[in-house]
Amino acid sequence: MKDLKHLIFFEDLLQEANNDLVKQGKADGKRAIGYTCFFMPEVLLDLPGCFSVRLRAPRCTSPDIATYYMSARTCHYARSLLERALEGGYNFLDAQMATETCTATCRFQEHLQQKHLDTVKDMRIIENDDFFVEFSDVPFKKDAISIDHYAEQLRFHVLQPLHEHFGIDISDEALREAIEQQNEVSRLIREIGDYRKLDNPTITGYEFHVIQLVSLVCPKYLILPYLRETAEELKTREPDLKKEFRCKVVLSGSENDDPDFTKLIESCGARVVADRYCYGSQETRQIIEIREGEDPLRAVARHYLEQSICPRFMDQHEMRARKKRLADLCKEYHADGLIVASNKFCEYWSYERVIDTVIMQRDFGIPVCSIEKEYINAASGQLRTRFQAFIESVEIKHIQKGAQS
Amino acid sequence: MNLPFDVSRLKASAAAMKDSIAKGAEELKQQGFDKKVHDFWYGKPHGERRLGDLYAGKTGLYKHREWRGVKDTMYYFYMIWLYNYITMVMDLMKYGGLVNFAKGVWRYRWVGQTYLPVLHWFDRGLEGLRGPALAASAWHYRGMVNSTIKQFQRMFEADTRLHGGEKNEAYWHTIAHNETVWGGVFYPWSDKFANVALEMIPYFVTCHVNSHTVLNYIDAVQSIGLPGDPCPMCQAEAGIFVQDDVPDYAPFAIICNEACDASVATSNLQDWFFDKPIYALPMPMLFDDPLVKKHCMAEIRQMWKFIEDQTGVPFNYEQLVKKLKLQNELQEFEWEKWDVAANTESYPINGVAQALYRIYQSQYGDNDIWHFCDKKVRKIMEKAVERKTKTFPNTRHRVIAWSCAPLYYSNWCTWAYNCWGLNVIINMDSLMFNMTIRTDNLENTVEDMAQYHMWAPMRRMAVGGMKHMFELWEYMEKFNCDMVAMYDQLQCKGVQGLHGLFEDEFRDRDIKAFWIPHALPDSRTVSRAEIRRLINDYMTTVMHEEPLDPSLLEFDDSMTW
Repeated sequence: MKDLKHLIFFEDLLQEANNDLVKQGKADGKRAIGYTCFFMPEVLLDLPGCFSVRLRAPRCTSPDIATYYMSARTCHYARSLLERALEGGYNFLDAQMATETCTATCRFQEHLQQKHLDTVKDMRIIENDDFFVEFSDVPFKKDAISIDHYAEQLRFHVLQPLHEHFGIDISDEALREAIEQQNEVSRLIREIGDYRKLDNPTITGYEFHVIQLVSLVCPKYLILPYLRETAEELKTREPDLKKEFRCKVVLSGSENDDPDFTKLIESCGARVVADRYCYGSQETRQIIEIREGEDPLRAVARHYLEQSICPRFMDQHEMRARKKRLADLCKEYHADGLIVASNKFCEYWSYERVIDTVIMQRDFGIPVCSIEKEYINAASGQLRTRFQAFIESVEIKHIQKGAQS
Repeated sequence: MNLPFDVSRLKASAAAMKDSIAKGAEELKQQGFDKKVHDFWYGKPHGERRLGDLYAGKTGLYKHREWRGVKDTMYYFYMIWLYNYITMVMDLMKYGGLVNFAKGVWRYRWVGQTYLPVLHWFDRGLEGLRGPALAASAWHYRGMVNSTIKQFQRMFEADTRLHGGEKNEAYWHTIAHNETVWGGVFYPWSDKFANVALEMIPYFVTCHVNSHTVLNYIDAVQSIGLPGDPCPMCQAEAGIFVQDDVPDYAPFAIICNEACDASVATSNLQDWFFDKPIYALPMPMLFDDPLVKKHCMAEIRQMWKFIEDQTGVPFNYEQLVKKLKLQNELQEFEWEKWDVAANTESYPINGVAQALYRIYQSQYGDNDIWHFCDKKVRKIMEKAVERKTKTFPNTRHRVIAWSCAPLYYSNWCTWAYNCWGLNVIINMDSLMFNMTIRTDNLENTVEDMAQYHMWAPMRRMAVGGMKHMFELWEYMEKFNCDMVAMYDQLQCKGVQGLHGLFEDEFRDRDIKAFWIPHALPDSRTVSRAEIRRLINDYMTTVMHEEPLDPSLLEFDDSMTW
């Protein structure tokens, strides 16, 4: 396929958290607000006057100082973020909107807090006098009282601090404007992603992964023109005559902001056609709908709880529904198998991966490849062997099915 | 014959010398005899006990029990050993009968492997204790044994697997729940229903008594693909479901997030095996926020509605108040105990008894046996305070133990006192539920219950906000401690995530602190011998101290229960 016009530019944007568009956003006088988890709605951080940056620590392979602070037995992602922060890589941030949605990232964000306790020293990691950290509580269920509680948390711990610290307009009108901007990003990303449903997709999983990531780490108003152009470009993009893949897979799992991981899978002969992982598009790029009579903040709260299929949710029907939704995703994107990848030391996904490995095969007949990985994948040789074996096994199943029919 | 000396004088001198030697020998003999009599009557003093010589190699079993002096040995034999064996049988008969127990032993490995070693568990925890410390600590153990029997017998009585698939009356009148759901939330139904935690007995209690039992469950869950790094407590809790080793004793269950990521995930895994109606009652993460408490109150109310729907029995506020008042009495006595622990040398409860009884009691909620034992302990404690008895006379350091303790070596503090004079005064787990609950009206009651629920085991400090972990300094001062035993649960992400900050603070504040690495129930990760070695190293190389009992420095107990 012909190269996408902006792919190299997009790849460059992913080399640093403080990338060119972030710098431009700051130069425009806007406040940069960091976050780590889907449950901190990015749309609220993209209100007029500020922009959201989902934190990454690209190319961080050896978080030595962070390992002293958080030990070698916590998630590599959280430690890499702390390392990057200690290196000064997040000094551009004006605030961190935090959640305690997983323990390790919570601890990372607590290290960023300044002058909040007498009982422990102030590390002053972020060199910015305006900088502050605010935590919100995220419920474990999706029922009405949980949505109300979540909306209240977002009002008191996100909107009000943004207004008080930076004078951000948090009116319903401003919220509607931010929602409209996010919906446009989501529409474009979904449009781009839908080409993966084609029999011979006109976009690779790697390309899509890069595009999705830049939409998370750059100011929306600055990345939108590039996304529009890319969507337009894809309308006429011709696929290769000969398919470059032997099977299609859905990639599910924990935190993954490393497009090279997707590239690795695809280099083994698979095409990643759908992304259900933290930083993926399946949950983040759904259209936010404001229902009749609903205020925009509650609509955001409802949207973020209802759209998520995170293993954090404990309602009995939710535990089962997310397996069905994963199976539906495989069907919708015509996937032949499922790769479930969890980061080492991620407790939620260690368990969820085990359950998926058993249930998806047993109840839905979907072949599963179960992988434990690091944040940055140094062990690519071992992973390559695993993926190759899985792709071969899926192929063999196809051949056997063909022979039987 | 003329001799150069006077023979008669020499003979007299030799006779005098002989008399003198005989007298000296006799005196020495007399002194040794008195010492022996003294040691027989009172027991050997701390520095001379050589408790390590009592162990049979590797097993940690005693060649013979320690002679603690006539009074304490008799007390140990009659009031602890014999009394507890008798009451253990009586409890079985009282709570469900011997037939149910026999069926349960046959079916579930966790009970068979842990019932008989119970008295060895007493031995390990009460080693070297004397007088009020021996008596009061033992009453704490008695309380735990009774409550344990009551719970597993209820499981067996109601268990469909032990009754040919029949769902009997006990089955329909039992509520199952995760072990960190506080039993108090079921008080409104406590006159008609029993509540029994799913994992408290099969996993939590058993690994204190027999550290080998739980390993099988950890291996079981890893055998289906779970990596080894999540919290081993959660792994064990999931493993008993994988092994199908949980009695089927209730028609529905209340689950919770047991305060960490792995526990949420464990509940998810358990759900696939449990396959019954469940209600999730999460503990909110950021419990200092009043808005969070409001949400938690709504969750509790919603759970009560779920129980009403499942049982058809309405919520009973009078019953709730009655039980809460009884629980408040327990808390008030706990505060009295803390006051004595903090401000006197007469606190008669050792580190392991304090920690286990408190977490068991505060988590389970009101129970007759707690009142019975507290009454006994009060009497002992008041007498000790009145007489100003030094209950741990060889205390060199007053230690506060912080974070989550090793379950397979909860009696490390008994060893540490005997070997080094490290007296663990209080521990983090004891301090979690530091409140009584208002009973003046439903709104206040629910508000306080929500607070209690949010201060769940491990949630309040270990994985709660960073602020709560660093409450250590405040409690250290309050309990007049000069040293910290910092538990280092290798797979607890919440505590590991603050490791470096603690190191920095210990240095900056010049606090004497030693780390105890462990993996909660999994004794294979860091052995008991390794824990002892690390403490020995700290006491010799940092503190430059000599052991009180050198025979306890090194011994092999790898095969012990």
